[in-house]
Amino acid sequence: MQTVTLTPIIQSKISIEAETITPDNFAGKTGEEIENITIWEGNHKTRLFEFFKIALEGKDSPENTKIIINGSIPRVKRVGEGMTDGMILINGDVDMHVGAKMCGGVITVKGSADSWAGREMKGGELIIGGDAGYYLGAGYRGESCGMRGGKIIVFGDVKDYAGEHICGGEILIKGSAGLMPGISNNGGIITIEGNTSMPGAEMKKGTIKINGVVETLVPSYKQEDDEEINGIVYNKYTGDVVAGGKGSLYIKR
Amino acid sequence: MSELLIKNGRVFDPINSINGDIMDIAIKNGKIVDDVSLSPNTKVIDASSMIVMPGGVDAHSHIAGSKVNSGRIMRPDDGRSGIEKRTKITRPCSGYTVPNTFAMGYRYAKLGYTTVFEAAIPILHARHTHEEFGDIPIIDKGGLVLFGSNWQVMEAVRENDIEKLAAYVAWGLSASRGYGVKIVNPGGGEAWGFGKNVSGLHDTVPNFDVTPAEIITSLAKANEMLHLPHSIHLHCNLLGTPGNYKTTIETMKLLEHIKPGMDRQVVHITHLTFNAWGGTNWGDFESKADAVADYLNQHDHVTVDMGQLIFGNATTMTADGPMQYANARLLNARWTNGDVELEDASGVVPLSYIRKMYIHDIMWAVGLEVALLTRNPWQVLLTTDHPNGGPFVNYPEVIALLMSAQKREEEMLKLSNKMRDRTTLSGIERELDWYDIAIKTRASHAKILGLTDHGKGHLGAGADADVTIYHINPDRVDAGREHATVKKAFEKPAYTIKDGEVVAMNGEITATPAGRTFWVNASVPEEHNTRLMRDLRLKFRKYYSINLANYMVQDNYVKHPVVIKAGGS
Repeated sequence: MQTVTLTPIIQSKISIEAETITPDNFAGKTGEEIENITIWEGNHKTRLFEFFKIALEGKDSPENTKIIINGSIPRVKRVGEGMTDGMILINGDVDMHVGAKMCGGVITVKGSADSWAGREMKGGELIIGGDAGYYLGAGYRGESCGMRGGKIIVFGDVKDYAGEHICGGEILIKGSAGLMPGISNNGGIITIEGNTSMPGAEMKKGTIKINGVVETLVPSYKQEDDEEINGIVYNKYTGDVVAGGKGSLYIKR
Repeated sequence: MSELLIKNGRVFDPINSINGDIMDIAIKNGKIVDDVSLSPNTKVIDASSMIVMPGGVDAHSHIAGSKVNSGRIMRPDDGRSGIEKRTKITRPCSGYTVPNTFAMGYRYAKLGYTTVFEAAIPILHARHTHEEFGDIPIIDKGGLVLFGSNWQVMEAVRENDIEKLAAYVAWGLSASRGYGVKIVNPGGGEAWGFGKNVSGLHDTVPNFDVTPAEIITSLAKANEMLHLPHSIHLHCNLLGTPGNYKTTIETMKLLEHIKPGMDRQVVHITHLTFNAWGGTNWGDFESKADAVADYLNQHDHVTVDMGQLIFGNATTMTADGPMQYANARLLNARWTNGDVELEDASGVVPLSYIRKMYIHDIMWAVGLEVALLTRNPWQVLLTTDHPNGGPFVNYPEVIALLMSAQKREEEMLKLSNKMRDRTTLSGIERELDWYDIAIKTRASHAKILGLTDHGKGHLGAGADADVTIYHINPDRVDAGREHATVKKAFEKPAYTIKDGEVVAMNGEITATPAGRTFWVNASVPEEHNTRLMRDLRLKFRKYYSINLANYMVQDNYVKHPVVIKAGGS
């Protein structure tokens, strides 16, 4: 087991691009090597030790590597991008694109994550204890597929467009979601425990289940017979008819 | 005084009928010369066991202008692919189907190409095209100008006033600093202004009382009256519609009796992949490339290019507005529509060509069939209609497919059975040789464009010193079986030399000179010009959104011009 603990020493006002913070990149490296890993502060190339105190225990492969970030890093973006295995634990908040394109492993954020968390992720698990921003598990600009696999759990609320263009995988939101969760859903499963508005616009495939109140329903859905899932009765709709879609939308009765 | 000697290469220079002879190529001050006296300043490249060809020429590609830029704007996803960091001498690159301007130049140079022609410039947007040309490093450029749905053109056609039409073509080329006459779905661009299309060669264009057939033949006559270096360059009506091969052949027949004003074809019909289709709908869609090739084998007034389809991402962009609308609806894809005032329409639609989708599989076969069934290699150019059929970086794949029946067979195993039944590709055993490839990738492009006299496409004394050296020994490599080796060699030429300077080596850029821009200045008798200007002043006053005085592309937008003179005799 290899455990790397990063403690933030200064908080930059300028955003830091840190796609290099992944178990894949840290595994098997010495403390000195990790301290010298490149990150970018704006357009300025810098190294990890400028912003973090680093403590290292052991040496192992990516699947047995755990990164603990002890504190909030609200200006550090792209943590865990593309990671394939291992674990990241963030004891605080994190900036945008956490877990983007991740393929495996687990990221746990104790605080809140900003927008684009789990963008285009393919596998693994992303757990956010607080809230998440816009475009949770979505596709980036122009992309026809967002999340393709894996699982995202958010215990707090999320903002608009969660799971936009989701093509696979699962999103569970314990709180409420903003506008249009699952817009252009193309095969993913989204569950929202709280309230939302206009879910599933342009949905082609996949499932959206809402246990809270839906403020506005997109008019282009066809109502089916009610269905009972796990003891809860849902109004079932299929659509989005406008997109020739065959997705299922369940709203608690 | 820079001198360069390329020693002992196997030279393929079809314009000078050199077929793989072991020769030295001497270069002095950016031009090919008969010989150089070896001095300490002479740089020598040992090209023994390598292939030497003239620098590649691409007569039909979409590399610059408002359409390409629309593609970039609507495809941020494409912009995120193909990212290359800047180096000491190159600027950062991005994109695959619609690369940024720098990447256009670097990637063509890395592929061994030194001259590329943009295939569609609306006069009104020509300034934009030239601004991008200025940003595209290394390669020489030129552009074909859209005339097919232009009000001034159609009015002259209606009046059957070929002199005035020729005067307008000459004026349009000068206004846009353009090189030749491009016609896209003649009449269709205007009809699209009313949400319609023309249904064939003899359908009438709304409000103009002319037919596509009349537009094509009149522009061909005007083109030959002006003795332009290139013939009319035609994107046929009904492109992208099943059964359109009939229109394509009918179009070729229309022009059988027109006498070329120069020693070349009368018409170049472009991207046959999209207009040699049989069937009546998408259900019975089939290839009719054999019928088109049959016609080409009996007539020499037509040349064509493949517009080969490449599986994967593409961004279709054309002045054929109605076709692009149909495309976007059919595929439920993103769509950009453009209207160029009195001149034309346009559309951009990103799409993906997918193996096992039989329509795409058949389209893939059509391009190859045309190239392989047409006996005369000079008649069919190798293109992908970048980025409509696929990005130009895939030319080595197409070369390998043309040179190896085995590779085609291997590729067909991945495709649908309907493709085998509805095309003749599996029965074609022809394999092109190195000489044919040199014709299809440079010599014939230059000849068809009328650029051989201006130093392109060959290695004779006096030609521009644009040379590509490929790391492959034709004696050792059996292209039919070792197609992977062939593809690799064409992907990374050992050297690309532009004007005597090594610009790329083994896939790395080594120098980034600015390229030149070819344009044609055709003179017409003053009386026709006077009549034309009377019409134009009225049009600008009544219809155009800008002034005549602000319309012409100024010379400072064309930094390194090569002006070719043409005109009535």
